Amino acid sequence: MVFTGLPLATLLPLAGVAAAIVVFFYVLKLRRRPVAVPFARIWERILRDQEATHLFSQLKRLLSLLLQLVLLTLLLMALGDPRLAQTLLEGRSTVVLVDTSASMKALDVAPSRLGAAREEVRRLVGSLANADRVLVARMDATVAPLSTMTDDTAALEAAVDALAPTDTRADLAQGLAFALDVLRGLPHPEIVVVGDGAYGDLAAVNAQVALGDMPVRFIPLGKEQRNVAITQFSVRRYPLDKSRHEALLEVTNTNDVPADVELTLLGDGDVVDVTRLKLGPRERLPRFYADLAGANRTIEARITLTGGDRDYLPADDHAYALMPERRRARVLVVTSGNTYLEAALLLDEYLDVTLIEPARYPPPGAFDVTIFDGVAPALAAGTGAALYLDPPAEGGPVVPDRAVDELFGFDEWDRKSPLVRWMAMADIQVASGHTLHPGPGDRVVGASEHGPILVSGTRGGRPFVALGFDPRRSDLVLRVAWPLFILNTIDHFVQEDASYISSFRTGDVWRIPTPSSASLAELRDPSGRTRSVPVQHGRAVHFGDQAGFYELVVPGEPEAAKIGFAGNLVDLAESEIAPRTELGLGAPPPAARTALSPGIRRDIWVYLVAAVLLLSAIEWFTFHRRVTV
Amino acid sequence: MRLLEWFRRAAGPVSRRFVSVRPPPREELFDDDFQRKLETLAIVSRRVFAGRLRAERRTKKKGSGVEFADHRVYVPGDDFRYVDWNVYQRFGRLLVRLYEEEEDLSIYFIVDCSTSMGFGNGRRFDQARRLCAALAYVGLANLDRVTIVGVSDGVVARMPTTRGKGRIFKVLGFLRELEARGTTDLGSALKTFVAQHKRRGLAVLFSDLYDHEGFANGINVLRYNKFEPYVIHLVDPREDRPALRGDVRIYDCETGEEREVTVTDRVLERMAQAQAEYRAEAERFCTRNQVAYFPAEVDAPFDELILRVFRRGGFLR
Repeated sequence: MVFTGLPLATLLPLAGVAAAIVVFFYVLKLRRRPVAVPFARIWERILRDQEATHLFSQLKRLLSLLLQLVLLTLLLMALGDPRLAQTLLEGRSTVVLVDTSASMKALDVAPSRLGAAREEVRRLVGSLANADRVLVARMDATVAPLSTMTDDTAALEAAVDALAPTDTRADLAQGLAFALDVLRGLPHPEIVVVGDGAYGDLAAVNAQVALGDMPVRFIPLGKEQRNVAITQFSVRRYPLDKSRHEALLEVTNTNDVPADVELTLLGDGDVVDVTRLKLGPRERLPRFYADLAGANRTIEARITLTGGDRDYLPADDHAYALMPERRRARVLVVTSGNTYLEAALLLDEYLDVTLIEPARYPPPGAFDVTIFDGVAPALAAGTGAALYLDPPAEGGPVVPDRAVDELFGFDEWDRKSPLVRWMAMADIQVASGHTLHPGPGDRVVGASEHGPILVSGTRGGRPFVALGFDPRRSDLVLRVAWPLFILNTIDHFVQEDASYISSFRTGDVWRIPTPSSASLAELRDPSGRTRSVPVQHGRAVHFGDQAGFYELVVPGEPEAAKIGFAGNLVDLAESEIAPRTELGLGAPPPAARTALSPGIRRDIWVYLVAAVLLLSAIEWFTFHRRVTV
Repeated sequence: MRLLEWFRRAAGPVSRRFVSVRPPPREELFDDDFQRKLETLAIVSRRVFAGRLRAERRTKKKGSGVEFADHRVYVPGDDFRYVDWNVYQRFGRLLVRLYEEEEDLSIYFIVDCSTSMGFGNGRRFDQARRLCAALAYVGLANLDRVTIVGVSDGVVARMPTTRGKGRIFKVLGFLRELEARGTTDLGSALKTFVAQHKRRGLAVLFSDLYDHEGFANGINVLRYNKFEPYVIHLVDPREDRPALRGDVRIYDCETGEEREVTVTDRVLERMAQAQAEYRAEAERFCTRNQVAYFPAEVDAPFDELILRVFRRGGFLR
């Protein structure tokens, strides 16, 4: 007998103290209620008869003490979780990695590959021998244990029930590394992988994980491989005509036989385009849809096999994209007259532009963006974000550092900045201007050899962009970059980012830009479940494992912002559902399993506690019936 | 320290602080209703014994009274005047007529004033005093010499001998002042009593007979000193099945003697048997020694008890 719970060295002092307390209370004289009687001699007559039973009473008291000590012993032994040493020595430690990746949604076996995996794991749990312990973990893009290393079949059954498929790829290397960590130091370790073998390049897995002598058993699942998948999908609005958009997608035939596919494109739930495609064996066919119209928010692509063929993995037949919401931005231009600026603003029909003389600032009303052309008055309420073109020495958010009267240009610029997206910056020539002196926290977007000339930042909670020269004193206004710069800046201010990511790929950690500095946001996933996600550095962080449309609600002033985005399974490795019969990791096969010896449950402590409860019930019954009084 | 104190109290012997006998309730012992019933009892007693009693009591002495009592064989020395010549003429035997001698009867009411009489709410003691008052009234109304004494382990109170119905208020006042306090020792107390009262007579003892020295001692003292004992045994049926349960430490309300008892149904049954045996023992003793014995339950109406006493006889003759 071995105590696997509290060790004997702890149990013995505990037993001593507890027994001493029990004995002390028994030795302690029972305090009886004093009752006056008129004539004690009459009681003596009764008590004389009782003297004969006094010995029996003492015996009952002694028996009661012994019973208490027995109960105490049983409870302490239960705390020790005793096991037969023989069974402990024979026990094996097994980590069962169940593939819950997207390919396990394949329906080539009933009810699905994951359903078959559940049955396999249940069978494995049912065949555990004495003292075998198992940990069940799900394995997709991440690995998560669903149970402890236990021999409790109920807990293991619950873990099996908790297995659910995701729209992510399976990371076998991560799963094996997890299993190795769990099994380190445990007796008779063993890894069991239950899945379809769609794990990408196994040679890379072998290179990443040193299995050594660790036995790995693979339980293969799946029969069919016929599948056609959408392996790429992206949508964007045109920067200068946001009523229209273009979509790029790729359809892949993962089989060795040709496939006839019907591709349907839906905008806001309505069919926008239907195309019939013929894919050759293992062909990857990209499709580009230009100049699409008729959808404001959601774009969805679906493919179906025609000609009576069946696609066994529906999970990769859908792809989703969400476009940024369009709204009319109110722009105030404070200028004494700037034709180039007015022309650039005319290019976007979704702008409400108001032009005023500097003397009439501030006008009534509120604006999203105000462009100050060569002026920098004190900002009034309703100004919104500010774009300063050649700000004067006084009043601007940044101070002109020094005048530059020789030709200069952008020698350095932040290529990742949305302000200069799609702009050719290298050959812009500027006749004269100023370098700018950025404040703390400001970001230098562009600089000449003389210093910063394009700076962005925030003042008093209001974002600003400052250009250190008059565009008319450069050839910028003659370039395509000019309207792009103006529109990029306005889009940046109104959060209508042309670089908006139409969809994220499942299995990655998503970092969704948020307009607020809140630390928590509410995320509603495609299944309708809502959860809180952290917001770090202005981005909500979430590990996406479901394809579909998401909605993120970020608290803010004056009202919460709602951000939509989409998640897609676009993973060719997961779409390759041809089942694999062996992993070929080079690990030795595990020893044959012995069946569970039926009959007695292996948790002895359960029986000890049951015995305590039974004895207590008997003791209570006899006391209640005055048998032991 | 408080925990230690708690343990001391839990483990220590029974403290006297926790022991008390409930005091008797303060209520009017002899109210107007009681006094009206006394008058009724006096009238009833006359009717019951009408024709035999002419407002006098007879003693057992045979003497020169007018009431014929019996015959006995003539022996030399007898007064010839009492020879019944009619009998001699008819049967040829010399028999002497005996007459009951008439004298004032002394009635002594002895009330047990020990603590056990006031046990509980004092019903037993109240009943004893009511019965004593009733019988005393009957005695006073019949022009007997009435004396009341209270005893426990000695004579604790004494009302001087009195007679006449008009003294009833003195009797009531005396009884009202009696307190149930002290241990019972009837033998010792009644020895004092007989030493103080040379004139023999009827001695009515109101007691629960809870005497640790034995109730027989006291009764025998009366018997041996030519008193006519009449024992009225005050019985409380509640004591047959006391309202106790579980582990208790009982103590005698007079002596403080303690015993630990676990009261169960079986113990309560035995208690009822023991009480019945104790009463039967007292009755057997009295019957064997020709002592009038009358059990009186503490909750029975006192006037009914008095009538039962009259009907049973022995008290009035």
